[in-house]
Amino acid sequence: MFSRQFDKAVKVGGAVAGATGAAIFLIVYFSMWNDNADVGYRPQQPVPFSHKMHVGTLQISCQYCHAGVESSAHSPIPSTQTCMNCHTLVKAESPKLKVVRESFESGQPIEWVRIHKLPDYAHFNHSRHIRAQIDCKSCHGPIEEMGVVSQFKPLSMGWCIDCHRKPESGIIGARPISGVFTGRMHNVKNLKDSAYIFTSIEAQIGKSTPMISPSYGQMISPLPAHVVAGIPHPKSAGIGPETCSTCHY
Amino acid sequence: MNRKSLYALGIVGLALVAGIVSVLSSRTTWFSESPPIEVLPNLDLQFKDIPQSGNTFFADRKSLRDPVEGTVARGATTYLLGQGDIELAETNNVDPEIEKSAFVLSRGQNRFNVFCSPCHNYDAKGESIVAVRGEWAGIPNLTRPETSALSNSRIFHIISAGQNLMPSYADKISPIDRWTIIYYLRSLQNNNAQ
Repeated sequence: MFSRQFDKAVKVGGAVAGATGAAIFLIVYFSMWNDNADVGYRPQQPVPFSHKMHVGTLQISCQYCHAGVESSAHSPIPSTQTCMNCHTLVKAESPKLKVVRESFESGQPIEWVRIHKLPDYAHFNHSRHIRAQIDCKSCHGPIEEMGVVSQFKPLSMGWCIDCHRKPESGIIGARPISGVFTGRMHNVKNLKDSAYIFTSIEAQIGKSTPMISPSYGQMISPLPAHVVAGIPHPKSAGIGPETCSTCHY
Repeated sequence: MNRKSLYALGIVGLALVAGIVSVLSSRTTWFSESPPIEVLPNLDLQFKDIPQSGNTFFADRKSLRDPVEGTVARGATTYLLGQGDIELAETNNVDPEIEKSAFVLSRGQNRFNVFCSPCHNYDAKGESIVAVRGEWAGIPNLTRPETSALSNSRIFHIISAGQNLMPSYADKISPIDRWTIIYYLRSLQNNNAQ
């Protein structure tokens, strides 16, 4: 019906349009994933604070500044007073710390840019995870190597659930640097001498039984068949972490 | 269009799709300074205060309001003595004399290593990384006899109110943790004396 040339143009044009459409769809589809949209968010902060210097080189524990993370839902951003504990003496005249000094004098908090942001309808409790001796690195990545902090994990619901179903894939047991365990950083040998009963995550996992994948209407994890002395296993809470109201309340 | 070029086109298309999928689903991190795109931001940002957020409703933009002057939050503890009230500290700070169990001591070790070790070092001798790097003089060796001779109440006072260059740690360390720190420090001093 059509000329041979027109037919060919339609075929080639259709193929090209289809391929372009598929490419655009794929790019948009994957860009919506938190792995691509959120991970790597690295905003400029008002103060050029380097975690690499403070945690990596000076080996100050996470909890020195983020004190209260083990007792509150949020990991507190340190007050300006915390900075000034040292910086009244150290680099007291540094131009990089101008904002900190101004904040300290005026009492107006520094407006740090939030990196890790959950939707407002999802609640995450830091203290619960710290008490389970889950290291900060499990979710925040190697902070001690980051000059400027960026988001390291997607913080999506699927990511939470993945880890709760298969903790051994995601959890990094408490490291000395975080202060989650003993706060001691240098002599790792002494960790085992400490009076805390320490069970490595591998040992905990070894004792746990794999959870059957839940079917509809069975969203509550089975009560633990195992008992891990001293340290709660992520799966062994009284009500399972897969109850909707655990995070959405 | 001959069969050969159709095949070629198909292969190029497949390679393109495979390339996009493998790159985008991989663990490559693309750093960005702009906030993440919210595709369906339905209730992600609600009209409410969440902790540590800014707030345009108040002139000072603080969501967390300062306590009303002259009030203390329920359950909060304040340390009322100033740095100079040394005599009062001896009578006011009553040692709860918690049993020095392994748990209590390791709790003290934890808190000591987190809050004290940046300056005083893990062995309490004062030559920490920060001190050495900053060439700080005057960080006391806490295992020397002068410090060992201080009473528990006095050390509690120093932690709570600060001393010389050391600021108050009353806002960071709970009172019970301060006592555990003291017990742990005593064990360090004993180890050193032997």
